[in-house]
Amino acid sequence: MTLDIQRLSAGYGSTPVISGIHMTAAAGRICAVMGRNGSGKTTLLRCINHVLPPVKGEIRILGQDITRMARHRIAQIISVVPQVNFSPFSFSCRDMVLMAGAARIRPWAAPSRKEQDRALSAMAEVGIDHLASQAFNAISGGERQLVMLARALFQETPIMLLDEPTAHLDFTNQHRIMALMRKLAAKRQMTVIITLHDPNLTCHYCDDVVLIHQGRVAAAGKTSDTLTGEVLARVLGDNIRLDVTAGGVRVAVPARFDSATNRPAHDPADPLTTH
Amino acid sequence: MKYRWAILGTAFVTGLFACLCIGRYPIHPAQVIRLLLAGLGMDSAASGSLADPMMIFWNIRVPRVLLAMLAGAGISAAGAVFQALFRNPLAAPDILGVTAGAGFGAALAIMFLVPAALVIQASAFVFGITAVTLAYILASLSRDRSPSVLVISGIVISAMFQAGLSFIMYLANPYDQLAQIIFWTMGSFHTASWAKIQATLPVLVPGITLLVLFSWRLNIMTQGEEDALSLGVPVMRWRIFYVLVSTLMVAAAVAAAGTVAWIGLIVPHIARYLAGPEHTRLIPMSAFLGGFFLMVMDSVARSVMLSEIPISIVTSIFGAPFLGYLVIHAGKARMSHDT
Repeated sequence: MTLDIQRLSAGYGSTPVISGIHMTAAAGRICAVMGRNGSGKTTLLRCINHVLPPVKGEIRILGQDITRMARHRIAQIISVVPQVNFSPFSFSCRDMVLMAGAARIRPWAAPSRKEQDRALSAMAEVGIDHLASQAFNAISGGERQLVMLARALFQETPIMLLDEPTAHLDFTNQHRIMALMRKLAAKRQMTVIITLHDPNLTCHYCDDVVLIHQGRVAAAGKTSDTLTGEVLARVLGDNIRLDVTAGGVRVAVPARFDSATNRPAHDPADPLTTH
Repeated sequence: MKYRWAILGTAFVTGLFACLCIGRYPIHPAQVIRLLLAGLGMDSAASGSLADPMMIFWNIRVPRVLLAMLAGAGISAAGAVFQALFRNPLAAPDILGVTAGAGFGAALAIMFLVPAALVIQASAFVFGITAVTLAYILASLSRDRSPSVLVISGIVISAMFQAGLSFIMYLANPYDQLAQIIFWTMGSFHTASWAKIQATLPVLVPGITLLVLFSWRLNIMTQGEEDALSLGVPVMRWRIFYVLVSTLMVAAAVAAAGTVAWIGLIVPHIARYLAGPEHTRLIPMSAFLGGFFLMVMDSVARSVMLSEIPISIVTSIFGAPFLGYLVIHAGKARMSHDT
C-alpha cells in the first residue's frame, strides 16, 4: 500500500516543526526518515498516524485522505511501534500484544481464543512467544521493543511506523530488529517507515531514505543514490564521512580524526568538546 | 490460585452470615436462618413468633449489609477505573471532586433544606455530579488534553466545594446541624433503609455491569492517549464514558452513606494482587472485594463500641497501614527489578 504525502506542514501551537514535506513510501520497502534531534522526524510520524493534525497538506493512502478517516479505520491501516515502552501497570506480554486487536474487537467484548492464538503467532514471528506470560515491565528494554513490534504485527496493518526502534538497544539487538523488519516488509508486503539516527543502519537495511533538515526535506530517494557523504554532512553535521570498505560496504565514520591520539576529533569551535 | 474463587466465595458467604449475626442486637446463627426463611415465606411459623427480630433483621440489618456491599462494590470498581484512566495506581474515585461536591450538597440540605435522609441523598448526588461536570468544563477550557489537566481541575473544584462545606459548618448550629454534617462527612450506614437501596441500586448495578462489560478497553486506556489512539480507540469518547459511569456510581454511594475513605484506593490494589492488572479480571474482583470489605468494615463500625463509629474512621484505620505496606512492598519489588 503506497503512502503519499504532499506539502505537509505541522507543529505545536504557533510553532511550525515541519513544513512543505513531500514523500512517498511504497509496499514491501523500508523507508528511513533521518535528521538531527528536533528536526521533525517524530512530528512527521505523528502526522502520518493522525495523532497530530496537519496545519496544511495531505496524507493519502490509496487515494484516500487519512485526516478524514475514523480512528479505528486508521488503526486498521497503520500500526505504530512507539519510542518509549513503559506500562504503568505491569501487564503480561501477551496482554500487551492483544491490545492491538482493539480495532477488530467489539467494544464490549474481550479477545476471543482465535485472537489470542493470532497474538501468540505474532509473538512467535519475532521470536518472543516464550515471554507471553512474563510481566512486560520485568523484561529487558530490547525484549520490550520486540513485544511492541509483535503488537504492531498483530494489528495486521499494511503500513507500519517505527519511531527510533533501535534507541536503547545493544549492537546485536539493533541489527536483529532491522533484519527482522526487512524480512517482514518483504514477506507481508508492508510499507515500513522508520526513524533512525544511525546512517549505517540506514545504509544496510533501508531501501529509501528521507533526510529532514530544520523541518524540510533536504534529500529523498533510494538509499544507494541519496545517502552520500555530502548529503549526510549537510543534514547531520559536517563531522561525518561515508567510507566504502574493501568489500564494498558503505560505512559512516567521524570525518575528523586526531592523528596524535587516533581518536575522533570534534569541531574546535564547539565549546562542548574543546578542552 | 486454581481454587481462588472457591476460597473467596466461601469467605464471602461466611462473612455475610457473620455480618447478619453481629450488631447491637446480636442474632444467633440458627435464628438468622429462620429469619431468612421466614422473610422468603418459607417458614410461616417463625414470622409470628419472631416479630421483633424480624423487624430488626429485615428492616435494619439486611438493608444495611446490602447497602454497604453495594457501595463498597461501586466505589472499588470506580477506583480501579480511575486508576486505569489516570495511569496512576494512587488515583482515587474522588479525584475529580465528586466527594467534595456531595459533601457540600449534603451539608446544604442539612442546613437549608428538609434534613430528611432522601433529601440529603438527592442533594449530595446532584452536587457530586455538578462538581465533576465543573471539573470537566474547566479542563476543557485548557488546550492541554492530558489527564493531568483534568486532575488539576478536580483539585480546584474540590477545594472550592470544600471551602463551601467549611463555610456551612461554620454557620451551622453546633448542637444538631454541625454534628449531623460532621457525621455525614465521615460516613455511616446507620440510616440504611430499603428506600435508600431502591435509590442506589438502579445506579450501582447497571454501572458495575457496564464497567465489567467494557473492562477490556481499560487495558488500552492505561497505555496513554497517543498509544490508545494508535490502537484505534477514540480516547476522549471512552474517557467521558468511563468517568461518567464511575462518577454516577460514586455519587450514588456517597449520597447514600456519606464519605467512605480509602476503599476506592486500596481495594483495587488488593484486587490487582489477587487477579493481576488485566481489567477483565480486575474490575469484577475489585467490585467483589469492595463489597465484601465494606460490609465487614461496617459490621466492625457498628459492633466494637457502644456507640457507632463513622465508617471512614474504621476504613482509615485498616486502609492507611495497608497502603504503607504497599508502598514498602512496591519499593522492594521495584528495586529487585532494577538489579
